[in-house]
Amino acid sequence: MIIEISHFLSILATGLFLLVGLISFIATDTKYIANLISRTFSHGFLLLLISFVIYIWLAITDNFSVQYIANHSNTELPVFYKISSIWSAHEGSMFLWIIFIGLWGFIFNINIKNDEVLKPKSIGVISLILVGFLLFLLLTSNPFEIILPIAPLNGADINPVLQDPALAIHPPTLYLGYVGFVIPFACAISFLINGNPDVRWEKLVQKWSVLAWVFLTIGITLGSWWAYYELGWGGYWFWDPVENVALMPWLAATAFLHSLSVSIKSSHLRVWTILLSISVFSLSLFGAFIVRSGIIDSVHSFANDPDRGLYLLMFIGIILIISLSLFILRFSMIRPIGNIKRFSKESFISINNIFFGSLIFSVMLGVTYPLVYEYLFDQKISVGAPFYNAIFIPIVLIASLFLFFSVDSKWSRNLNFNFFRSPIIVSIILSIASVILLIYFFQTNNLTFLISVYVGLLIIFRYCIEIFNSFYFKKFINPFSAIAHLALGLLLLSISFNSLLSTERALSIRLDSIEEYKDLKIYFKDIKVVKNSNHDSIKALFFIENSRGNIVELSPEKRRYRTRGQITTETAIHISPLRDIYITIGDQLDNGNWVVNVQLNYFIRWIWFSGCLMAMAGIVLIFSKRKV
Amino acid sequence: MKFLFKSTVLLLPLAFIAMFYILLTEEDAYPGTDYKTFDVPKFQLENLENTKLIDNDEIKGSFILNVWASWCITCRVEHPFLMNLKNQGIKIIGLNYKDERSDAIQWLDKYGNPYEITVHDLKGSLALDLGVTGAPETFLVSNGKVVAHYQGEVNDAIWSNVFLPIIKEKGMF
Repeated sequence: MIIEISHFLSILATGLFLLVGLISFIATDTKYIANLISRTFSHGFLLLLISFVIYIWLAITDNFSVQYIANHSNTELPVFYKISSIWSAHEGSMFLWIIFIGLWGFIFNINIKNDEVLKPKSIGVISLILVGFLLFLLLTSNPFEIILPIAPLNGADINPVLQDPALAIHPPTLYLGYVGFVIPFACAISFLINGNPDVRWEKLVQKWSVLAWVFLTIGITLGSWWAYYELGWGGYWFWDPVENVALMPWLAATAFLHSLSVSIKSSHLRVWTILLSISVFSLSLFGAFIVRSGIIDSVHSFANDPDRGLYLLMFIGIILIISLSLFILRFSMIRPIGNIKRFSKESFISINNIFFGSLIFSVMLGVTYPLVYEYLFDQKISVGAPFYNAIFIPIVLIASLFLFFSVDSKWSRNLNFNFFRSPIIVSIILSIASVILLIYFFQTNNLTFLISVYVGLLIIFRYCIEIFNSFYFKKFINPFSAIAHLALGLLLLSISFNSLLSTERALSIRLDSIEEYKDLKIYFKDIKVVKNSNHDSIKALFFIENSRGNIVELSPEKRRYRTRGQITTETAIHISPLRDIYITIGDQLDNGNWVVNVQLNYFIRWIWFSGCLMAMAGIVLIFSKRKV
Repeated sequence: MKFLFKSTVLLLPLAFIAMFYILLTEEDAYPGTDYKTFDVPKFQLENLENTKLIDNDEIKGSFILNVWASWCITCRVEHPFLMNLKNQGIKIIGLNYKDERSDAIQWLDKYGNPYEITVHDLKGSLALDLGVTGAPETFLVSNGKVVAHYQGEVNDAIWSNVFLPIIKEKGMF
């Protein structure tokens, strides 16, 4: 009964959003209409929110007459996971996705005054997008299905790899980021419809876009961290198709923010900014399409259904046709006046757009090429790390070099480029000195490593000097840019060190014996079978001693979950600032030895730290009072 | 130039959409079909009657390899169609899969034997090498190479849509 209320409220909300969409495009813009749109949208969202809250309540109270809850939750689960079970599969996560679009729209709605000229149509666009997704939810993936006449006594349990705090937060964060770009998209469309080039839609959307970008950044970082310790993959990035479809919106969003910072100040790069705002949003939708159509096999793939894929594809198609046609119609209006000055910040950022554009294009190619190849030649191929490394390493390094020189550039002014300015010289000297030290210390002649480290250090030193100057000489500095780019430098460094130093070995160890690996002595102390509430596990115990005589205990596990019979590997990780000792156990060999996989992952924490630092930079911008 | 830019902006994404549309709707009309070509794995197994050993040299030329078992209900459904094929003069080799010898012989006696030779694969070792997931499954073999593989019951529709095009293309039988 209660579920029907929730279902009904969702349908009602769909109707209201449709109404808002229609009014905003049909009615003439008056103050009255603007108020009406704003109020109706808020009401629609509140209905939707109540519907969702009821749904959460049903999940918490184990209402297994709801099919979806019966399939994905269980009375044994802690409340936290009962709630997170809602987004552990397709229907519920789509529901959450919609709630988030509504939430962004709602907060935008109550924060922006009704006399803002772009607001009514922006809200209209958001409403129509909501209608599109709500119809998708209600028609192809209904979470409100009920089991009649007799509900099961207990549910089927959540997938065990998803019973993890990081994973309970990772999808919502990522979704918040993905759908957050509905705001810049809606405003861009509203701007194009409005057709007055003097309206500054860019100012309106900057903080919203940065906030969405922050969520996307944190979401991707969390996902990377989760895959590392939960899936037992032991790395931070796998170029998995679903990781790639999350990376594309991020790349597009990052380019968008850069481009936006130019368009906010002048009429330059407006074409880029609008195109990028459309790309970010459609790439986010494209990600949803890839994950939910089941077109790609991946760890992330949801139970798939071609109808869903078709619906989403058509939806993306319609959005693209409308927005791009609008763009072409208004092309002459957004064209810049005058040229960009050479070596000005604008010129550097337009180069940056090209770099990001090529990265996005190559990831797109990597994602689609195997699909097309399989279609044409009926053979499966996989495009993996070698392809992406070959493309990303040179482009990112060259782009970072441009970044290094762009620090001295000024807005709309030719840069009197002087190679012998002290900050440049000092950073170059410091970086060369550090690289020479590294060659001496690590005895390496790996050129990719040395160049990446060099470029990373250049950026870090250059921005440190800049930050120093801002403190001591009160020189103006954009804190957002400085922190984000410092994080980029740090990311380059930690990825380089990680790939140079990290090693892995599968050892075969007898119980009660010692194996040596690198500087570690690994003592296999114990192995036993443990029974837990919902799984049985084989739990091993290792004492690991490093060269300095410090001993750590690690106990990796292999679990078998009773309800689903799924086997998961629980890694044991010893964390220290410089390196992780990462152990998983495999199978027992015929001679009684156990296969144990030991990995030494250097600087891996720093990679995630860099991600967080980037997100931090975004937060700094959002809370900074000054215009940037 | 401007026109070129505008049309690229509009057409490139739409081309992507169209491509995904084709990929998505290119539903395998007959799921379970695989046209991967590979050599018939090396094997040496007894025939069903336990009168001699069969290996790769015993089965030459073009034929259909049908995986079946007396415990498999669908095989019983498929059986009349195989008899039909046999009467058309198509060479069928049986792969009796994880089955009791006596049960299998009884089954053939009762319903009729469409197979020129039946290989007895008690442990499913050849079936494993072939990539069999269950019974019935059917392979089209041309000169020691598997050229088509179908999981599930072969009937008129499957035969004319999955196997016949390949047979015509290669001029088999």
